[in-house]
Order: sequence, then structure tokens, then C-alpha cells
Amino acid sequence: MFLAVKEMWYEKLRYSLVIELIFLVSYLLIILTGLSSGLASLNKAAVNEWGAETIVLDKDSEGRLAQSFLSNQTIRSTSGTPISQYSSIVKAKSGLKENSTIIAISKHSFIYKNLSVIDGKKFTTKGTVLVSDIFKTAGFKIGDTLYLNNSDVKLRIAGFTPQATLSATPVVYTSFTTIKPLTRGTINALLTSKKKIKQPTNALVLSKDQFINKLPGYSAQNMTFNFMISFLYIIIFIVISIFLYILTIQKLPNYGVLKAQGIPTKFLTLNTLSQSLIISIFGVIVAIIFGFITALLLPSEVPIVINIANIISTSVGIVLMSLFGSIIPIYQIAKVDPYKVIGG
Amino acid sequence: MSNLIFSSVNKVFGSGSSRYVALENIDFEANSGELILVVGPSGSGKTTFLTIAGGLQTPTSGNVTLNNEAITRLNRKEQSQLRLNKIGFILQSYNLVPFLSVKEQFTLADKVKKTNISPQDLDQLLTDLDIISLKEKYPNQLSGGQKQRVAIARALYTDPEYILADEPTAALDTERSAEVMKLLKTLAHKRNKVIIVVTHDMRLKKNADKIYQIIDGRMSLLK
Repeated sequence: MFLAVKEMWYEKLRYSLVIELIFLVSYLLIILTGLSSGLASLNKAAVNEWGAETIVLDKDSEGRLAQSFLSNQTIRSTSGTPISQYSSIVKAKSGLKENSTIIAISKHSFIYKNLSVIDGKKFTTKGTVLVSDIFKTAGFKIGDTLYLNNSDVKLRIAGFTPQATLSATPVVYTSFTTIKPLTRGTINALLTSKKKIKQPTNALVLSKDQFINKLPGYSAQNMTFNFMISFLYIIIFIVISIFLYILTIQKLPNYGVLKAQGIPTKFLTLNTLSQSLIISIFGVIVAIIFGFITALLLPSEVPIVINIANIISTSVGIVLMSLFGSIIPIYQIAKVDPYKVIGG
Repeated sequence: MSNLIFSSVNKVFGSGSSRYVALENIDFEANSGELILVVGPSGSGKTTFLTIAGGLQTPTSGNVTLNNEAITRLNRKEQSQLRLNKIGFILQSYNLVPFLSVKEQFTLADKVKKTNISPQDLDQLLTDLDIISLKEKYPNQLSGGQKQRVAIARALYTDPEYILADEPTAALDTERSAEVMKLLKTLAHKRNKVIIVVTHDMRLKKNADKIYQIIDGRMSLLK
């Protein structure tokens, strides 16, 4: 550590530039990870809130809730809480509108019990709804009447619930009787909190994770983000490798003389590892600070989630890639032959 | 009592038509309290001799012992440990660590050896080499001669039993060369060190207790 700190202090400009580079890449990584988490959460938050472990859909639905129409036979032969789904633009008289997913559930279901309320109360009577808190952020209020596109059905907001988004749209929870004119009594899925159930005929049984992965665009979006994030990790590895490699090559005669004097290779390699560690930790700390500031400044419409778990995993990833980046320079140091430096 | 002994040491590089005998049947002995000069023209095998003495190379045949311990049988780590604890190298290519001040060049040795030489001892050493005023300077602020004297101080700092010097006065003028040799002689005689200086600078002859000559890999005792 002694050599590492002294060298970095002496070569302030050179090292601050590489720290700046690591900061910029780390910042981009933190923002992308935040957006990835935020968008993933927008897609699946409601499913997680339901508390279901297994979802039964129509066998021809390809795992899509909107394309699943369960037969009466399947409903009768399968235990599970039914849900109905209907997508529509929901408007208020004030002119506010939200593209929403309306989900009908029973008041006696475990889903109803699992829903939390941040303002108002859950729906109780026909025509009342519990809506995503996104409606609240958008300006909707408890008691507002909601109108659906191309329909006479009117809904009244009873309360707001958090974590209520499905496929990036806010969810409106209500009773089956309320949306019967829209769905004509169709049941799209049966949900159960059991991890394994008996395979019903003509039905597709999915785990919660399988169901989420089949949400429209969810996997493609995640793969895109993961590709970009992986690439940034590789960039960090390459940047650290090249930087430390060039510096090490310049210092090989010094390392040769130090080895001739008996300075152990371990001491010299630890110095390079320490530099890699210091560069990445400094870069990451500044990136985290800027990441949090960015998340605060971005408008609420931008779905970015920067939480402690994300920060820790991203930081550990960056530091590990930096340490891997010092492998080639360390190899260079290890193979320096002091005799060749001294000559003979 | 420290001693360094070469017994029938040969060093051959390459094979076939590119075979080159760097050292041939070398018998050599150095004991505590001796300042030994090894002279010879460029390419005669002086530095090969010195690097074998310091455990940086192994001979093709023969034996080298340091305090009656065969250094040729030590592994790399043990040889490194030996150099750290018992041998001080003064090299022609002094290569001071560029980002450490003169004072910190010595702190580095303390960090590795986990020793802490008193500031008074360090100041005395730097005064003897007339570099006390350069303590806070960095290598790029020093002249060639000053760098060489810092390199010498660095080798002497840990008080090694053996000092192996390769052209230690190459960058020094006559006056400075004489001072450095006087210091090495004092160290050999008063502090019982084994000091071997490899050089082609014949001005240093008068300080030596023994003088060996190497020509074409063969060593002979001159004095």
C-alpha cells in the first residue's frame, strides 16, 4: 500500500484521469442498473405484491395473461384464486388519463389481503376501485370518478396502493361484478400461493418467475440491459488492464532493481493490486454519489431504482473487474528477472 | 565471521555454435573485513560473477557458499530473502524509485524488512555520502552522481553483511569516487563487512585489500 499511495500522490494527474474514467463508466453502470431495476419493477411489481407462486393460464395463451381465457371446466377442476384482466385508458373529468390494466379479484382472495393501502381503503362495493399510487402522483384523488374508453362503466377511487404496475402500466383493482360488462365474466388466470399444483387439463401452469419472464417485452428488455451492463464491466476490466500494464512496463527496470535488493514479488504485486483497488473504490464512490443525485433530479416518470442492494452488487462487480484487470500487470512484475535488468 | 566462497564455478550461456563461456573454473574467497576489487574489461564476466555471488543467477557447475550455506541450493524465495537480509546491491543502473523522495527510498526498506533504523543513523549515512540536503528531493531533481550516492546509501542502509557493487563510481568524479571508496573501506574494516566491487575503473585500486582480475571468464589474483 505504501508504494501504491506514494506513486498515486506523485502522479496525481495521471491517476486522477483514470479514476475519472472509472467514475464515468461506473456512473453509467449505476444509472443503467437503476433503470433496468426500475423498468423491471414497473413490469412485475403487481405480480410480486399478489403473493402468488403458481399461475394457471390457458394452454394456448403463450403465458400471456391478456391472451388467456380459461374454460369453465379448467376453473372447476383447479383450485386457485381467479383473476380477470382488462386493458383500457382510464380518464377523469379533470382531463387526467392513464393507460391502465384493470384487474378483478375476489374480496375473499389472498391477493386482496396482500394488497397494501397508502391512502383511502380497498374497494368494497360495486363500482369502487383501489388504484396504483401512480394515479395519485398524476393528480387523481380519492372519490374521483374514472371513465373507461368506449364504455359506460364508471369507477370511483376508494384508495391508492403501492407497487401496483403490470407490464409498465398502473393497475386498477376492482371486483368481478364491476368489470363484468367489459370482460363478460371471462377468467384469465387462476393464482395460488402453492409452489406445486396438480397439472390441470388444457392449462398451462407457470411459476411466478416464468410468468414474469413471459410478460410482453420483459425478457427482451432485460437482455438488452444485461448486455449493456456486461459490456461496461468488460470496459472497466480493459481500462484498468491497459492503464496498469503501461505503467508497469515503464517501471519494470525499477521492479528489477527492487527484486535484486530482495524486495519480495508479493510486496510489489500487492502494490499493483492496491492501486487497482484504490482507483476502483474512488471511482465507484464518486459514481454512487452522482448516481443518487441523478436519481433525485430525474422526473418521477423516469423509472430508476437506485437502492442499497443494487449499489452493493454493482460496486462489488466494478471492484472485482478492476482487480481482475491487474492480473496481466501482476504477471509482468512476477516474471521480471532482476539479472536481465542488471545486465551482465 | 562472514565469508563468500566460489568453488570451481563455471557459467555457460547458450549451446552449440552459440555456446559462450562467461566464467571458467572460478575459485574465489572473500571474508569479513575485506574490500575486494574485481577488475576487467567490458564483457569479461565481471557482472555475471557478481550476479552469481548475489544469488541472481545460478552457475552452470560449481558451488557458491555464503556463510558456509550453498546459495545455489536455495529456491527463489529463499534467495530473495537472503538478498533482503544479508546483501546490499549497488548497481550501475541505480534505478531509484521515481515517485519516492530520497528519504522514502529508505522507508521502503523499513516497510519490507519491518525494521526502523533510527533517524540519527540515517542522517549519519547521508552525511557521510554528502546527500543529507537531498532528503526531500525526488530522483528527477538529482544529478547522476547524486542518484548514485543515494543508491549507495540505499544499499548500505539496512546494514547488510555483504555489499556487492557493480561499477559504483561510474557516475562520480574522481573526488567523489575516492570518498565513496573510502566509505566502503571503512565499512569493511571497522564494521567487518564483506565488500566486493566490480569495476574497470583502475583509480580504485589503492583502496582494495585484494584485487582479482577477470579476463575472458578466467579469474586471477592480482594483489
